[in-house]
Amino acid sequence: MSRATSRMPVRPDGLRIAVELRAALALVGTLLKYLSVSAIAPVGVALWYREPVWPFVLAGAIALVLGLLLERQRGDAHQVGFREGYLVVVLTWLLAAAYGSLPYLLSGEPQFNRPADAFFETMSGFTTTGASILTDIEAVDHSLLFWRQFTQWLGGMGIIVLALAVLPKLRVGGRQLMESEMPGPEMDDLAARIRSTAQRLWLLYVGLTVAQIMILVTFGLVGIDDRMGLFEAVSAAFATMPTGGFFPDGRSLEEFAAATQWVVAVFMVIAGANFALTYRALIRRQPRQAFRDEEIRLYLAIIAAATAIVAAELWAADFATGEAAIRHAFFQVTSLMTTTGFATVDFVSWPALTLMVLVLLMFVGGSAGSTGGSIKVVRHLLVGRILRRELHQTLHPELVQPVRFNGKPVDERTLRAIIAFTFLYLGVWIVGTAIITIDAAIQGPSLSAFEAIAATATTLGNVGPGVGNQGPMGTYESFSDISTLTFSCLMWLGRLEVIPIVVVLTRGYWRV
Amino acid sequence: MKILIVGSGQVGSSLVEALHSEHELTVLDLDGERLREIAYAYDVKTVEANGASRSALVDAGLATTDLFIACTSRDEVNLVACSFARADNPRATTVIRTSNAEYVDLWRAGRLDADFAVSSELETAHAVTRTIGVPAARMTDVFAEGQVQVVEFEVDEDASPELVGTPLRSTRLPADSRVAGIIRDGTSIVLSGESEIRRGDLLVVIGSPKAAREWSAMIWGSSGDVRDVVVYGGGHVGTAIARRLCREGIAVRLIEPDRVRAREIAESIPKCRVFNTDGLDPAFLERERIGDADAAVFAMREDARNLFAATLARVHGVEFTVAIVHDLVATEVYEKAGIDVSINPRQVTSEEIARFAHDPRTQQVAMLEGDRFEILDLTTRAESEYVGLRFREMPIRGALIGAIVRDGKAVFPRSDDVLQVGDRVIVFTETSRVADVEKVL
Repeated sequence: MSRATSRMPVRPDGLRIAVELRAALALVGTLLKYLSVSAIAPVGVALWYREPVWPFVLAGAIALVLGLLLERQRGDAHQVGFREGYLVVVLTWLLAAAYGSLPYLLSGEPQFNRPADAFFETMSGFTTTGASILTDIEAVDHSLLFWRQFTQWLGGMGIIVLALAVLPKLRVGGRQLMESEMPGPEMDDLAARIRSTAQRLWLLYVGLTVAQIMILVTFGLVGIDDRMGLFEAVSAAFATMPTGGFFPDGRSLEEFAAATQWVVAVFMVIAGANFALTYRALIRRQPRQAFRDEEIRLYLAIIAAATAIVAAELWAADFATGEAAIRHAFFQVTSLMTTTGFATVDFVSWPALTLMVLVLLMFVGGSAGSTGGSIKVVRHLLVGRILRRELHQTLHPELVQPVRFNGKPVDERTLRAIIAFTFLYLGVWIVGTAIITIDAAIQGPSLSAFEAIAATATTLGNVGPGVGNQGPMGTYESFSDISTLTFSCLMWLGRLEVIPIVVVLTRGYWRV
Repeated sequence: MKILIVGSGQVGSSLVEALHSEHELTVLDLDGERLREIAYAYDVKTVEANGASRSALVDAGLATTDLFIACTSRDEVNLVACSFARADNPRATTVIRTSNAEYVDLWRAGRLDADFAVSSELETAHAVTRTIGVPAARMTDVFAEGQVQVVEFEVDEDASPELVGTPLRSTRLPADSRVAGIIRDGTSIVLSGESEIRRGDLLVVIGSPKAAREWSAMIWGSSGDVRDVVVYGGGHVGTAIARRLCREGIAVRLIEPDRVRAREIAESIPKCRVFNTDGLDPAFLERERIGDADAAVFAMREDARNLFAATLARVHGVEFTVAIVHDLVATEVYEKAGIDVSINPRQVTSEEIARFAHDPRTQQVAMLEGDRFEILDLTTRAESEYVGLRFREMPIRGALIGAIVRDGKAVFPRSDDVLQVGDRVIVFTETSRVADVEKVL
């Protein structure tokens, strides 16, 4: 894709690098420059609560300067092609997490005294994971808590998708950039131009967030939920639509009213569904066509089935009865499957079957084209169909059987990519679990096998809560720096769907 | 009638063969060699020119033509030629041949300005489907939007004993059907209640589709219900057949040796099971139990291959085989080799087109035994001497009314029924009497 081969950077040993590094860095710089504007939002909150403003101003300034410096690289944005696109996405997310951790570090908040912890918290924010190293959330400044929520909201629909939507200049390689950031095997184009698609996605995202804030604030005003104020409503909405899971309360949504919990659960279902379908159902008013989609049907069916199992066991084991059993089951199932991570109850003490169902749901994830993470429903659907075809072909070796999705045959390359992704995802999970378990054995904390498995699954899947000490009311504070950074990497890998990062790490990527 | 035919390929030349004696034909084609062959064989005018050229069409007599038939092998040429014909001579009836089913759909939806659009592939698919519904049939055709089916049977050893050797009046025959003709030793015998069916006869039955299946069962000697069909060859004809059969609710297995083509077919016909193999490997036939299929259709590009595959399938136990004819000689070879039905796409297409050269009252025509017998579908006039007569009073003139369509519904007349003005009648007759029949009705 590089147009000017002659301008290719040459390493001292004479080997040519096939990537237009400078052009890629220049684009990353531009993105970082614009991202630095996001520091303005928490400044308002800090002023309102009379908290220090300068950590945000300084963080923004550092990002701005770094962005400008990178941008001044002698590189032409037009040279950002197919190869460079991966690098841009991968680096932007890494730098975004670094920039996001600056306010935590600069604020002097004692719970963030380890830089790895601040990095973890920001990565957990931007990747909409929701895992936290905080042990006493209520002690943290409102402005920092708002920043936590805000990183989730920005990361949910995607930093680059946002840039594509609002920045007129950034059109180079737009589709590829967007596809590497917008999860899922295929995206339904909402408009012919990538920029209009990005704008429509963001408008819908903003619209749904505003709707949720208004409903929750109304609940607070009319007395349905006394604990619900504007700050809580905004925080909840900023972590629901991106399927994030951060909340400025150590007990998550436990102490909020049943009505609030139902509303949040419903919005989680919407957030975990394909935004293109939601757009179709709500804006184009074609709900029937939207519900004909095979993925959304399976998505809703899995939620219904898992809710039924969990509710039945909760009821039978007397953890909850009646409406509460259904509500807690539905909320926890939705929260973990859509990879949000809110909780209405500390489910770590729930019975084994229920807990196992919840951990398995972490591997299901949301729909393609949603803000949810993990493997995603459509991939499970297609992997199932691929396996069914393999069984058929054992009996009938000559049978030609295309795998279909929504009635349309799926390209064999796409199918291979789906299988590759699924195995790569599971491979990364296994390697991550191994690192965490070994590190825990050497440096502590003491970790059960189930806890280790759940902790890596939940970070890689961008879910948030695990089991045991890492449960929904728990914390990741006890891990060593190595484990904390490993978890951060898993979140990063999970959010960008593994492949872009692994590709950039291969030797072939850098060679001609 | 003046007829201008654009295209002298296999469809064009079979049209010339069918129409030359009664009509004034002009044939236009780019291929001078083929035109010469036609000009030597038949008394027709030939013009060597491009059918997509307006001036060439005008020179060939477009302005005075009554029927314009564009039947080259290229859809685009046919479409362009037809649009010129429409513009220069709006009075002429226009017929387009196409190999693309999409154009036929467009024509049905009124989006294609022609009086008739015919696709060899679709017509062949229909013919195969009709045949498979009544496996005992040598030939079958449907009339009046599928309410009336005409079937030609050969009464052989398998035929039910009740049928053979008893006078028709005392035989229990399927309801809603009539024996329209018995062809014995190549000639039609005069039918009466005393006539009896003998083994070796060819029987022409007109009846409802249900009755046709009952007849088939009586003659075939088994239920004749077809649920599972294997189609060899995934070309245009093969896929059209598979698609049509799938739509009828029949389980279809299609065999296509080309990997890419097999994939395309599997993608475009979801219900059809496609196998990527040449289908000539006995191990494959055994593994997939091809022998258990109720019928097999051979639609590969080469007649010899079709014959080989059909014979192999018969060896493996397939009881009913249908093969597509490309070269005319294949019809005889297939018949001698024991293939049950052979279907010639060009003949099917030219039959469809030839309907337009008949009396304008005639809606549809089918030919039997080459072109020796015909089935006509025409509407009675007030002047007809038959109108107002009971069926048993009608003079016998070598033609028989098998069904009437009255107010859009098919009626299978009994001897007391009366023919009325405006009835559509389905008549079986010898080709030589067609003009007489059209005159008296």
